[in-house]
Amino acid sequence: MADPEREAPEGDAFDEARPGGRVQAVVAGALPVALGAFAAWLAFGLDVGSLTDPGPGLWPLIVSGLLVACGAGIIIVAATAKGPNGTEAFTKGTINVLVAAGALAVYASLFEVVGFEIPTVLLLFAWLRFLGRESWLSSTVIAVVATAAFYALFILGLGVPLPHLIAF
Amino acid sequence: MDFSSVLSGFAVAFEPQNLLFCLIGVTVGMLIGVLPGLGPAATIAILLPITYSLEPTAAVIMLAGIFYGAQYGGTITSVLLRMPGEASTVVTALDGHALARKGEAGPALGVAAIASFIGGTASILLLTFIAPALAGAALAFGPAEYTVLALIGIFLVGTLGSGSLVKSAAAAALGLLIATVGLDPLLGTPRFTFGTDQLADGIDFTIVAMGLFGVGEILYNLEHRDRPQPAVPAFGRAIPSRLHWLRSRMAILRGSVTGFVLGILPGGGATMSSLVSYAVEKRVAKDPSRFGKGAIEGVAGPESANNAAATSSFIPLLTLGIPANATMAVLFGALMLQGITPGPNLMNEHPDVFWGVVNSMYVGNLLLLALSIPLIGVFVRMLKVRPGVLGPLTVVITMLGVYSIRNNAFDMLLVIGLGLLGYGMRKLGFEPGPFVLAFVLGSLLEASFRRSMRIFGGDVTEFVQRPVSGTLVAVLVLTAVIIPVLRGVRARQSAAAERAAVE
Repeated sequence: MADPEREAPEGDAFDEARPGGRVQAVVAGALPVALGAFAAWLAFGLDVGSLTDPGPGLWPLIVSGLLVACGAGIIIVAATAKGPNGTEAFTKGTINVLVAAGALAVYASLFEVVGFEIPTVLLLFAWLRFLGRESWLSSTVIAVVATAAFYALFILGLGVPLPHLIAF
Repeated sequence: MDFSSVLSGFAVAFEPQNLLFCLIGVTVGMLIGVLPGLGPAATIAILLPITYSLEPTAAVIMLAGIFYGAQYGGTITSVLLRMPGEASTVVTALDGHALARKGEAGPALGVAAIASFIGGTASILLLTFIAPALAGAALAFGPAEYTVLALIGIFLVGTLGSGSLVKSAAAAALGLLIATVGLDPLLGTPRFTFGTDQLADGIDFTIVAMGLFGVGEILYNLEHRDRPQPAVPAFGRAIPSRLHWLRSRMAILRGSVTGFVLGILPGGGATMSSLVSYAVEKRVAKDPSRFGKGAIEGVAGPESANNAAATSSFIPLLTLGIPANATMAVLFGALMLQGITPGPNLMNEHPDVFWGVVNSMYVGNLLLLALSIPLIGVFVRMLKVRPGVLGPLTVVITMLGVYSIRNNAFDMLLVIGLGLLGYGMRKLGFEPGPFVLAFVLGSLLEASFRRSMRIFGGDVTEFVQRPVSGTLVAVLVLTAVIIPVLRGVRARQSAAAERAAVE
């Protein structure tokens, strides 16, 4: 891939999603196995009881067992199958996704502290400017106008008690 | 059958408020059908908190409208741009776009709208007669029957999805596991709460649906930036000629029946039935070589089928309480939020909701027919809104909606976490559909399993020995045999469709 210019879309931005490799396909099976094993261990800590008189732990234990079995099946299929394995390779765009989720988490934690207006403007602006690559001007305008519209819709229109600074 | 309640359902459907919400629903549905990316399940999930303040009938009328409206909208971009807005209209793109290139986009869209209308309407009529009988039979079901029925539902949705079988099963198992978070339904013991009060009530269905479908899809769409939009061809007047109509009418009839039957099957739904209908039309055509080059039957059949299926997939939800697909799972959640349990008693306990919603679909289909033709130009213009702008706006609506459920910022974090889970699942080849469905059915399945085990004295073979549950077990086994065959057919179909699309 040629070195992209600063404003140009990143390397594979216009590419179709590519299939993932074998390692990724095996990980797709290992995760359910690990999760199922962990849940099964927790389920044993609850009372399992018996089939005649099931305790709270029995059902989670059955489901965890199913999860482990499926995960093992996925690993076997992934290790033996040839050709596409149904996974999608992680790309540079994955960083965008993580950054976007991080921004959302910051938004959620600021929300109750400083009200919804400022975090909403900031979140919209960040997503528009840095993820959507809108211009500075249109990012600012859309962020402010949309926040005002959400204020009108949720607080004035639907009467949702969102924490807010501006009161009428 | 009680016709007076059917008729009073019309009175409910024609109340001004319900007409308004029907109009809002189908318009939103058509809009998201046109826009690629956000599907009906995600949209309905995102709008769930807004329906809290509505009356149950109005809420469900609107959400149902979004679902079948999306089938109409998806067609427009399939025909004009060969860019299907919904999975169920992928096959329409083959002949629809070929017609558009021949300058017959208008008639193609006209036939698609009429076919959709006929398919949808025929399906509502059939539903009106079949649903009461099915609900009547289901009244005799006990815990054992519900255990098997829920298993059939989860199994079929998992196997009829497009992903691998074992991955769908894993996704379903994870959904069942997440459903156990909170208090034990029978004994009240806290499970998997990690000592926090926030999880003591379990994870709300809305949170799961909004996280996995809503935020998950938005995050997924961020990874790859969309290609620049191709130019929209001129489409002229959306009025089919006599020849188009003559060629289409049998295809519409066959498509409606195919769609209705496949829509009832859990997991069948709109996508499957449109593919099957296309295959049928190609099979019965005198000259199959016209297909892929602009055969109007290849638009009419699948379009009537996907709308008929969209409508008939309401049947298992409204009569058995078993959602047939991911969107129905979200609607299941919407009904529960309103304090209405979908199932065999729905028709007797809430006839106004049941028949009001069913009969509103006639209105909705009429509105869609009336709207779709004159508004095609408007919807095409909506495509100019860049995904980079749409994403942030939808995510904020989702976040504010989540917060409004319990006025709780912890729920927002939970939704973000589930959104990341949804994104990761898609990257690793797991479908979110079976997860959400299993989550919805999880507590029903666990409670009826445990009750059955008590009744049976721990003897698992009783499931087979009782006549009704035994029959259902037979159905489960039978589907386990039929499904691989259906999957084979469909794999061939979509391979053929892809070849045709490449040519």
